[in-house]
Amino acid sequence: MSELLASIALRTVVVSGVATALAVLVGVPAGYAIARRSFRGRTILLGLINTGMGMPPVVVGLVVWLLLVRSGPFGDLDLIYTQRAMVLAQFLIATPIVIGFTTASFQALSPRLPDLLVVLGAGRMRRLWLLAREARLGLLVAIMAAFGAIVSEVGASMIAGGNLERSTRVLTTAIVTETSRGEVERALSLGLVLLVMSFVVNLSLTVIQQRSRA
Amino acid sequence: MDVEFDGVQVERDNRRVLDIPALRLRNGRTTAILGPNGSGKTTLLRLIAGLEHPRSGQVRFAGSPRPPVAYVFQEEVFLRRSVRENLELGLRLRGVAIAEARARVDDAAARLGISHLMHRRADHLSGGEGRRVNLARALALRSPLVLLDEPLEGLDEHTHSRLLDELPQLLAEFDATTLLVTHNRDEALRLAQDLVVLVDGRVRAAGDKREVAMNPSVVEVAEVLGYSVLASNGHRVAVPPGGLRPGAGPIEFSVVVEDVLDIVESYQVVGRVGDVRVHVEVPFMSALPRRGERMVVHATRSSEIA
Amino acid sequence: MTGPLITPLTADTIAISLTRRALVTLVTVLVLAALTHARAGRPVTQASIILATTTSTQDSGLLDVLVPRFEKERGIKIKVIAVGSGAALRMASRGDADVVLVHAPSAERPYVEAGDLVEGRAVMHNDFVIVGPKQDPAGIGSLASVNLVMRALAARATFVSRGDDSGTHAQELTLWAAARIDPRSIARREETGQGMGATLNVADQRRAYTLTDRGTYLSLRRRLELVILFQGDASLRNQYHVYAVNPSKNPRIQRDAARSFISFLVSQPVQQAIADFKRDEYGESLFFPDALPQ
Repeated sequence: MSELLASIALRTVVVSGVATALAVLVGVPAGYAIARRSFRGRTILLGLINTGMGMPPVVVGLVVWLLLVRSGPFGDLDLIYTQRAMVLAQFLIATPIVIGFTTASFQALSPRLPDLLVVLGAGRMRRLWLLAREARLGLLVAIMAAFGAIVSEVGASMIAGGNLERSTRVLTTAIVTETSRGEVERALSLGLVLLVMSFVVNLSLTVIQQRSRA
Repeated sequence: MDVEFDGVQVERDNRRVLDIPALRLRNGRTTAILGPNGSGKTTLLRLIAGLEHPRSGQVRFAGSPRPPVAYVFQEEVFLRRSVRENLELGLRLRGVAIAEARARVDDAAARLGISHLMHRRADHLSGGEGRRVNLARALALRSPLVLLDEPLEGLDEHTHSRLLDELPQLLAEFDATTLLVTHNRDEALRLAQDLVVLVDGRVRAAGDKREVAMNPSVVEVAEVLGYSVLASNGHRVAVPPGGLRPGAGPIEFSVVVEDVLDIVESYQVVGRVGDVRVHVEVPFMSALPRRGERMVVHATRSSEIA
Repeated sequence: MTGPLITPLTADTIAISLTRRALVTLVTVLVLAALTHARAGRPVTQASIILATTTSTQDSGLLDVLVPRFEKERGIKIKVIAVGSGAALRMASRGDADVVLVHAPSAERPYVEAGDLVEGRAVMHNDFVIVGPKQDPAGIGSLASVNLVMRALAARATFVSRGDDSGTHAQELTLWAAARIDPRSIARREETGQGMGATLNVADQRRAYTLTDRGTYLSLRRRLELVILFQGDASLRNQYHVYAVNPSKNPRIQRDAARSFISFLVSQPVQQAIADFKRDEYGESLFFPDALPQ
């Protein structure tokens, strides 16, 4: 039992971890670009991102399923009910969250700061790096919020992954399975692990936020 | 080096913000860009710094590409790190070695009197301290081109006057072509050698400050320089601030008195000549006019307006 | 100029409320854990019974026909709880149901022997089939015996199992055991932990083999590319029994109403209805009644 628990917990962290990492890779530069310059349609784009953040994850899972299922446009990729499908779904859930928080963090920086860096001679990559360091607390919040959201999500993981015991079962889908089997103790153990994981993430978040006030 | 503007036009939101067919800022001199708010002064500075680009025309730097610029922003802009790190950043970005950077920064800090602040968080400083760090940053960079955007804006009286006293010497030490943007005429005259008057995005006067500020002949320039433009005998004259005294004289005006203010050392009569509001200083012990009365004043100095 | 809804201030608020939510969830989970171990109480206001049955029985649609008929003819309300066979049997032993309709004879035996389940009757049966991709990469279509098929699947196929303690799952484990194969040792065998429909979907999408009851397969056949590759063996028979839960398990158990349901199920007209169920639609019966005179 504890062996199974460990492997499911590990898989959960790996899948959600990879999805979060990809979301950061895409979301931070995107958030920077949106925060940096104003362009026509920016408000609409931000509105879309906020919608993405509020999008029910299970709907994302459904969309991914429709795309990857054999009768769907990407059916030939043979990705449905695999870990990669789950990573894709979680990535799509996490990225708007990362972009939303990142944009806010960069916008909270002094508006003259990018100008200063340009004038001091920093190239584009260097500027992104320096500004990301300035906004690092906000970015950390973004990462943790995204990870926290996807690790505790069950609908998309179930639909896209299929809850296959050896390959795509994660903590949340395992809890559903064990509960529907009436295996209360197992479900509680899984729930406890998930709760601790989620609690650690959110506690760190709070500590960071409080510390940044000081 | 010289900075030349050639047919420069800048637009924003379909509005012409700058329109400068020709302008030359002379090498090695401090030029004050004077103008009312919204006249495009900051845009002009940003153009030179490369932060904005003209819709047409170009800004030339004595034939070479844009040199590294030291820009002293109006607000204090810092990274959330120590003062030292902020000061060294620009040098490090330009490839200056650590030891050299450190030495230059120490020198500049000492010069600006902020050596005791080196380890403080740069974004936790007071207004005056922040301005000094801004200036120290520019000094340490040793750029051939230094741009200052309203460096004394928003400071309290004491800090303002202290910095105003220190700046002329400091600017000389920059040893660069220096541009200073301000809307304050006194600051401009004190700190600069050349003057450019900018009104509504257009250059209305440019040249040595003596030529520009003495006897302005264009209304807008006169107004920017604080002159009152009054009608006299069918044409207009520009009278500098403090240039009106009570009593008759060769160039005379009739002031409709609106208010008489007790300003402790003397009285100030506030009134109108035609549509133009004027201020006339009246010595402490004289007879005071009353509100609504007419008072005769004469100009001690004036220049003709075209 | 507007920014995103998540400002740094809102981010703080969210961070704090997330922690708060985590604490609330913790407390809720602990409370729920305590509650699940308490006896489930039911208000005894009108005659109503709880039927514990399996998801595949539910999915077949048979209960959608029988339940309204029973409620109308006998005036007793039924609440249907569809879970895996294992869960249904455990519900019975806890006294959380009045009647049980399952199809896992080997799992039922210990409960009957322990006296948890009484007055059992055979209601109907159908069979299981092994389905797989048309191309039959494991080559089981030509094999003659079920043991050979199971060995071939273990050696060469990707196999999807329900893995949810259901009757189908139990049947599958029995087949592995008979062929002397430890299912845990099969390299490409996955458990979905879900019902038959979901498991068939997974097998269909992953081009794998699975064991399914004929009924569910027939009802989903149109959407699947899986075909029946092995059938007919005696060990694939799927036998349904109905039991009353021993009234001594719980004072709230409706003994008479439970008996009424059992007698309903084995009555002639209902047995005939079972035989006729969806026969027109599929061209064959889904269920074969056990209590009709031949």
